[in-house]
Amino acid sequence: MSLGRALALRAVTLVVVLFGVLLMVVIVLGATGVSDRVLTAYVSDQLRVVRQELSQKIREPMELERALEQYRAELTASYGLDRPWFQRLPQMILRVLTLDLGYSRTITSFTGSSRIADIIAERIPNTIILVTTSVIISAVIGITLGVRAAVRAGGLYDRILSLLSSVSFALPSWWTGLLFILVFSFYLGLFPFGGLYSAPPPSGMMERLADIIWHAILPVLTLVTVIVGSWAYISRTIVINTAREDFVNVARAKGLPESLILRRYIIRPSAPPIITNIVFAISGSIGGAILTETVFNFPGMGRLYYEAITSFDEGLVIALTYLYTLIYVASRFLLEVLYLLLDPRVRI
Amino acid sequence: MALSWWRIFWRYKVSKAGVSLLVFMVASSIYVLVSYPADFGVRVWNNPGYWADYPREAPPAWVNLFTDQKLPEHIVAVAGRPSSRYSTGSSVFTIYELAVNYYYDDYPGFLSLSIGPLEFYDTPPIVEISLVRPDGQSIILYTASVSAIFPGEEPPYRRFTETPFRIYLSGEDQVIQSIQRFLLDKGVVMQYGELVKLGPEKILFQGIGDGGMTGSVLRGQYILRIVFQSSSPADKISWIKAVVGGRVYGLSGTDRIGRDLAAGLLFGFPVALLIGFVTSGLTTVIGSALGILSGYAGGRLDELIQRISDILNNIPLLPLLIFFTFIFKPSIWLIVMILVAFGWSGLTIVVRSIVLQVKSEQYVEAAVSLGASRWRIMSRHIFPVIAPFIFAQMIFSTPSAILAEAALSFLGLGDPSLPSWGQMLDYSFRSGGVNIGLWWWIIPPGVLIVLTGLTFVLLALGIEPVVSPRLRRMR
Repeated sequence: MSLGRALALRAVTLVVVLFGVLLMVVIVLGATGVSDRVLTAYVSDQLRVVRQELSQKIREPMELERALEQYRAELTASYGLDRPWFQRLPQMILRVLTLDLGYSRTITSFTGSSRIADIIAERIPNTIILVTTSVIISAVIGITLGVRAAVRAGGLYDRILSLLSSVSFALPSWWTGLLFILVFSFYLGLFPFGGLYSAPPPSGMMERLADIIWHAILPVLTLVTVIVGSWAYISRTIVINTAREDFVNVARAKGLPESLILRRYIIRPSAPPIITNIVFAISGSIGGAILTETVFNFPGMGRLYYEAITSFDEGLVIALTYLYTLIYVASRFLLEVLYLLLDPRVRI
Repeated sequence: MALSWWRIFWRYKVSKAGVSLLVFMVASSIYVLVSYPADFGVRVWNNPGYWADYPREAPPAWVNLFTDQKLPEHIVAVAGRPSSRYSTGSSVFTIYELAVNYYYDDYPGFLSLSIGPLEFYDTPPIVEISLVRPDGQSIILYTASVSAIFPGEEPPYRRFTETPFRIYLSGEDQVIQSIQRFLLDKGVVMQYGELVKLGPEKILFQGIGDGGMTGSVLRGQYILRIVFQSSSPADKISWIKAVVGGRVYGLSGTDRIGRDLAAGLLFGFPVALLIGFVTSGLTTVIGSALGILSGYAGGRLDELIQRISDILNNIPLLPLLIFFTFIFKPSIWLIVMILVAFGWSGLTIVVRSIVLQVKSEQYVEAAVSLGASRWRIMSRHIFPVIAPFIFAQMIFSTPSAILAEAALSFLGLGDPSLPSWGQMLDYSFRSGGVNIGLWWWIIPPGVLIVLTGLTFVLLALGIEPVVSPRLRRMR
């Protein structure tokens, strides 16, 4: 299979994923009747507002009813409620695919806009900064620890690290967050209980930045605690596997100094899988941050997704699910390309 | 084969630790299955009425070991038969005496009294409740008459058969008024509102000297006297229960509505194991079967299975899991179903690559040339080689299912009929338990989740060297 063909196949798969997830979400919403229910509720909500306004102008009850009935028909048609859900479907998918996300029903952005694109645009940077910072910190710590453990594999340090990384793997991020709040916010009073800004936020530019960092420390610490273990363990396993390759034995047989062997013959060939792991971890953690964000009341995409689901905001749910998949899929593709660039063996 | 397998596995400390943890969890689960009612979630755990007589937000009783001030424990006194009975004229007096030894440094949380099913034959009996203090003072707290006879009702008249008659003494008007009178006798004037705010139990259990209230707890034996005045000697009362609400409770305290957290924590074991085992079992069976099929059959079927698992492998799981459980009614089987539906693909891809390797081994070729059927080759020559690996995968994927259920429960999407550790944490977080530092409500459920996860990680670490001999030398 040629390189181009392999990449093309990847791309097709990922597009199918994207489309498939979107289709699944829309079909589930439609077939379970949730979509109809939500839209109907929304129409009657709007009608109630209009009835109040109109009753000021139109005194004749019959005429008022007629006007309202007409308005209802217009609304119903504009939401597509006069057609079954599967006929509304293609239009909806097309809109979302082109990132025309529409308007939310209840949730608004911090500036008051109800355009879904505005709401999400405000929140995405928060999530990305949170996740990227945590992943990079955990990667640096984890790789350092893991390589050190691999060099003295089987020793006390290695065993302790293995145990700690299993604990870290078994820690749920949200409970770790609760624990940190209990310890650092409640008992020690060092950090705030949640949110991203103090109320009211401090005025100066530097003070504001410091305020945000002060609020972000606990969420980042939480994510680092739960991710770092698998980093250490994966790096350790990769390095150990590389250290048993024949070319390392050859280097040793040639009498090269151990430090050179470690640097050039073990760590360098281990680099590609470790680095591609970073991208993988970031894409994986974005979904996982939903829980951390909920615990810390962190104004990111995850928290928004949870709010959207619990308030039945159909448009927002579809848009966010689509975006989650998009980010996930795009980073997977990036990963694939990166892997090809970094590891010449894959290209053959 | 099987024996050497176990010997290698058992060589490692992690394996021993994992196995002992697993045994502990299975034992706890069996205990729960045997001793808990099947509808524990609906009838007990999520039924606030059941927990009415429990203290709220009480820390575990063992905190008393670490403090100088001994907080009152929860005291329940039950009497099945009267302590004395006498009759004067046409009235029969049945007297119940419930003794409570109170030697603590703080006042009780509340006082309540419940009367079980009773029957009477003539006029409704009259109940009088009084408290006799260690200093000999006696206070009549409450008097009431059992509800009157309905027109057309035939004797014996039965009352409180469905639910016992519960008198929350700490909140009763009558109690507060009679304490007011009691205080007035001692020369202390206290406003009604003030007394309500303070709580009547703080006066009832306080020492009284010549100069009024002493401000400290009066220790000793208190006796709750309940007198039934009935008109027929045939009248029967089944039981009387008095509760002196503690400020500490049991092994792991209570939550906001008074639920005994130890009971919930224990119930979490079978729930977690059920989710973990069912999910990982189904995922492994489906994943490896499709993997073997895909690797061995090749051709179009292989292509199809690989494309599907590739697609599934690229779906972000948590957002969709949240979405589905929210849209459909949250149930444990739905969660398991979704986890299985999206979870088998990774295993399929790996199993297929191993099968492809094994397929080209000489002994398989030999079997083919001997004319063995495809089924025989698959089940006899290929499956045994990959079986340990599949088993390791099953162990390794168990905690992720448990963690996923816990996460969903924490978001409020748990199955309400099966209380789990995640649901306990959901309630503690949502009701602000974290912000007021109710550690006994937050730490134990999480510790158990981590411990469960850790059990399977340790087992997987122990199995790893069995599966990949390369790692065997290292630990």
